[in-house]
Amino acid sequence: MDAALIVYALNLSAIYALMAIGISLLWSSIGMLNMAHGATFAVAGYGTLVLGNALLPLVEAVFDGWAILPLLKMTVLLLSGVTVGALFGGLIYLLGFLPIHDKANFPVRGMIVTLAINLATVQALLWWFGPRQQALPNVFGFGRLNLFGIPLRYDQAMTIGATVVLLGVVLAWLRLSRKGLEIRAMMQNAEGAALSGISVRRTALPVVAVTGAMAGAAAVLLSQTVYVSPGAGAMPLIKGMIIALLGGLGSVPGAAIAALLVGTLEAVTGAIPFLGQRMVLVVQFGFIITVLIIRPRGIGGLLSETRK
Amino acid sequence: MTLLKITDLSAGYGPLRVLHEINLTVERGERLAIVGLNGHGKTTLFRAITHLVGWQRGSILFDGVEIGGQRSLGEGRKTPGIVRLGVAMTPQGDAIFPGLTVRQHLDCGAWSKQAWRERAKRREAIFDLFPPLRKLENTTVGTLSGGERRMVSVGRALMTEARLYLIDEPSLGLAPVISQRVIAALREIDVKDGAIIIAEQNVTLLDGQVDRMIGMHAGRLRGDVGHVELG
Repeated sequence: MDAALIVYALNLSAIYALMAIGISLLWSSIGMLNMAHGATFAVAGYGTLVLGNALLPLVEAVFDGWAILPLLKMTVLLLSGVTVGALFGGLIYLLGFLPIHDKANFPVRGMIVTLAINLATVQALLWWFGPRQQALPNVFGFGRLNLFGIPLRYDQAMTIGATVVLLGVVLAWLRLSRKGLEIRAMMQNAEGAALSGISVRRTALPVVAVTGAMAGAAAVLLSQTVYVSPGAGAMPLIKGMIIALLGGLGSVPGAAIAALLVGTLEAVTGAIPFLGQRMVLVVQFGFIITVLIIRPRGIGGLLSETRK
Repeated sequence: MTLLKITDLSAGYGPLRVLHEINLTVERGERLAIVGLNGHGKTTLFRAITHLVGWQRGSILFDGVEIGGQRSLGEGRKTPGIVRLGVAMTPQGDAIFPGLTVRQHLDCGAWSKQAWRERAKRREAIFDLFPPLRKLENTTVGTLSGGERRMVSVGRALMTEARLYLIDEPSLGLAPVISQRVIAALREIDVKDGAIIIAEQNVTLLDGQVDRMIGMHAGRLRGDVGHVELG
């Protein structure tokens, strides 16, 4: 395995981790399997496109000639993606959570409603922006930097770096803040949380917004290499979901490890000559099914030493 | 002064009706025990007061506020609101958070602004009540024994002062020595102008610990036994 392959694997893992941890958190805290996570991804991509086209010339005019200009531009793009993602998360909360969360069979209803939101959003994007793929302003060009002899494309470095920072912030928020404590309590025992005065309705909004923001960040980071299109969210949604499953729905470290595993597997499978890119999904799903047959609780089940 | 007045409360799960027109009045400062066999509705009564059953009807007046009413959906939806009115409940099975530490559990129980501000002091008070918890402060609750979990669960309910404490089966699944310790700790709770209701199967454990005992059989309250001196 050469260095470039490792970098590619880390790049993929970073995007997958952002999606999977969001899906995993949503499922375990408010019991919603968010099928609209892909829509959040696509909407955030287009939102960044619109906002970026409006804001980037401004940034360029103000900070013209500064050495950190590309970094500033990237920050602007990331912030717009995160904001649009969080706002769309709020919309999902209003449409797909608030009206039905206390009805019977919420997990199934929630899945159907969010799937509907997903389909409607993709169609709306098709109608408004057209089917043509569009490129996000490429901030870094195609330059490379050399890190300890490893050739690293700027956008890859940015993706890996930004993901580590973002996940660090989210994990610290979950671990250290009072809201985070409430969310973790709700994840582990909804009834115990209710009896501690923790309201699902109040706690769900920040969770949906934060996971939406993570999907938005993933969209911006991925669109440095892939185009923005209305259906762009489908693959990240599917991969995020299977990785969340592999990680043992609800375990954040489990999802992170699963993302690393699946990202590496994808990079390696693509590099093996007789398998190649077209066999990536087959190998991935085969791997995940095998793991789930042997360890039904996924990787999270291996990590936790507590009994239920 | 009446703290809790339950009138014609029926409740159950799906087609199954467990409680049949219960009437119960609890005065301020009272320590009450509801005794009865397994499966006769003690837990369901507590869960109906906190809106955790599938459906219910009938009036529950808590300190003059109606928290009952008729509903067939949305179990748990109003529970945080009822808790915030001042009803603290230790549910059967403890409802602990397996991955959180003892300290985090107690912090979860401190939902009011004031309790959160003085949570360190209140944790100390809980540790004084349950000394074994002190050295377990940073242990994950999922790795604790049944007795320790019960202490954590009761401690969580005590972190914010409530007007009504509902303690469901404090002795369930515990060794006799430990359940005596838990009951003794419940005796220590200062109910002030509130009240405490304990649901229990083991009548001898409650000997001399409560002011009033009410029997429960087949979803109905049977007989107000009053203060009991046993053997």
